[in-house]
Amino acid sequence: MLRKEQNDLLTQTGPGTPGGRLFRCYWMPALLAGELPENDCPPVRVKILSERLIAFRDSNGRYGLIDEFCAHRGVSLWFGRNEECGLRCAYHGWKYDVSGQCIEIPSEPEASGFFNKIKLKSYPLVARGGVLWTYMGDPAAQPPLPEWEFITVPPAQTYTSKRLQENNWLQAMEGGIDSSHVSFLHRGDLNSDPLFKGAKGNQYNLSDARPVFEVVESPGGLYIGARRNAEDGKYYWRITQWVMPAFTMIAPRGNHPVHGHFWIPIDDETCWAWSFDYHPVRQLTAAELSAMRDGKGIHVRCEPGTYRPAANKDNDYLINRAAQKAGRTFSGVEGIGMQDASLQESMGPNVDRTKENLVSTDNGIIMARHRLLRAVKALLDKGVTPPGVDVEHQKVRSAAIVLPPDQPFKDGAREAMIARPSVAPASV
Amino acid sequence: MLSESARMTTAAESRFRVQAPNSTTRATAIIALDAPSETLVRRLSEGRWNHATFLRVPAGDSPGDPQPDEGWLTTLGDRRTRVRDEVNAADQVIMVAAAGGHADAAAAIGRTCSLKRVTTTSLIVGAAQASDRDVSKTLAQLRPWSLMVVIANSDDYVIDMMTALRV
Repeated sequence: MLRKEQNDLLTQTGPGTPGGRLFRCYWMPALLAGELPENDCPPVRVKILSERLIAFRDSNGRYGLIDEFCAHRGVSLWFGRNEECGLRCAYHGWKYDVSGQCIEIPSEPEASGFFNKIKLKSYPLVARGGVLWTYMGDPAAQPPLPEWEFITVPPAQTYTSKRLQENNWLQAMEGGIDSSHVSFLHRGDLNSDPLFKGAKGNQYNLSDARPVFEVVESPGGLYIGARRNAEDGKYYWRITQWVMPAFTMIAPRGNHPVHGHFWIPIDDETCWAWSFDYHPVRQLTAAELSAMRDGKGIHVRCEPGTYRPAANKDNDYLINRAAQKAGRTFSGVEGIGMQDASLQESMGPNVDRTKENLVSTDNGIIMARHRLLRAVKALLDKGVTPPGVDVEHQKVRSAAIVLPPDQPFKDGAREAMIARPSVAPASV
Repeated sequence: MLSESARMTTAAESRFRVQAPNSTTRATAIIALDAPSETLVRRLSEGRWNHATFLRVPAGDSPGDPQPDEGWLTTLGDRRTRVRDEVNAADQVIMVAAAGGHADAAAAIGRTCSLKRVTTTSLIVGAAQASDRDVSKTLAQLRPWSLMVVIANSDDYVIDMMTALRV
């Protein structure tokens, strides 16, 4: 249960809101690099944190992320011409560079210099690991570029996709740290999905549907350990990483790639679900890449030319009651990503948390909210930089590991929870 | 025509969610396992809660009896009460221990909860100021008897957790 004012504080991320100020402390994924594939390619409309923006790549390969609307009459620059180092409005030809600076107003005498007085709001846009990252906060407080492992390994070892999710970012993120749903919602997929099947850990998951949890605060967020019984009295641990505010990383399975998500607010009723898969020490195989592109694992298949899932609320997520009844899927929806998304969207665009009845196993979610609220307060009251901004907080890994019963996972998996170049992930 | 899901997931339709209460009050026993955590539990007891009983392990005593039904606790008003009676009356039990404190009482309480099928949550507080060794020691005492263990750096977390659990 969360009081309405707390819920509003965490779920509203537009300009000037407390939650919005928190998000504006971080570098966030804004676009896939492939969305701006070449110089002078078509511009792309982007909405993040309730701000309408336009992204483009100029003639010199520089990326720009600026206010979507021309300062002249408010026309969308999406119709603009991306040419000769700038984006030119299709209405009257006003032209902007990647910094949002107006560099030409054809109707005005050039000597007047009027164009110098026109500048659209802009944010940095930087390519890193196949993703274009933006920082929308105070330029004076801009942190170092992100260091997440999935964007620092060689390109052949990593794959990232994104999809539209039609609900507030928080209920999507909370799904990412809710380990107890896996034994139910996804149980039909553990032994069939090509990016999950074959791992010994799956058997532990399926044979023990009542895991025991431990939640530990980490420098950047939380370690959430889910413990199940293994052989010889040992415990099988699945350790999820949450790094503030919106990064979650799920424990790996066998030699499959490691994966996780970013949950980035588009506005207060929709978010981008970014899904990454990578392997720290080997290239992804052709079969793995094919499966990811085909929407397996945590990825989803989208409607052609869009980032909206092919199974979506307009077609009732292609629910298959026969598959549900036969036990092939628990909810009738196919695919791990859409199983999560369909249920989270069913809660409504922004769920009323005053009505929920949390239980003990929801402590990961409770602690995440607690840390977010604490960070917002510290930021607003004292200007304290929130956890997760420091790149050291980003060098984390999830882990799956079998430990003796008396060993805390925080100790037993200490090394495994740190991202180290060329070191294999801890996985079962 | 919109699909059923498309219509029902709109903000407009969210307004028609049934507003009747969807749960009854849960009875919660909050037990301080050691002296440092008793201070916190006393402070918590001053708040407004739905149905909470605040207890402590008697000083110099432990309900760690091999016969859990014979174990004893103490209310914050120093009234002795049986572990089994408190567990019987509770829907959930929250045990609070300071990192490095003496949490051995968790065994008797946890054993009784296990027999009565009552959910247990354990909180280790003061972890930020404690050594890893102290945290591990307390964790080892709590882990066998807890469905959920939380290691919290801030005491404020306990209040947020109790609010979230509708204590």
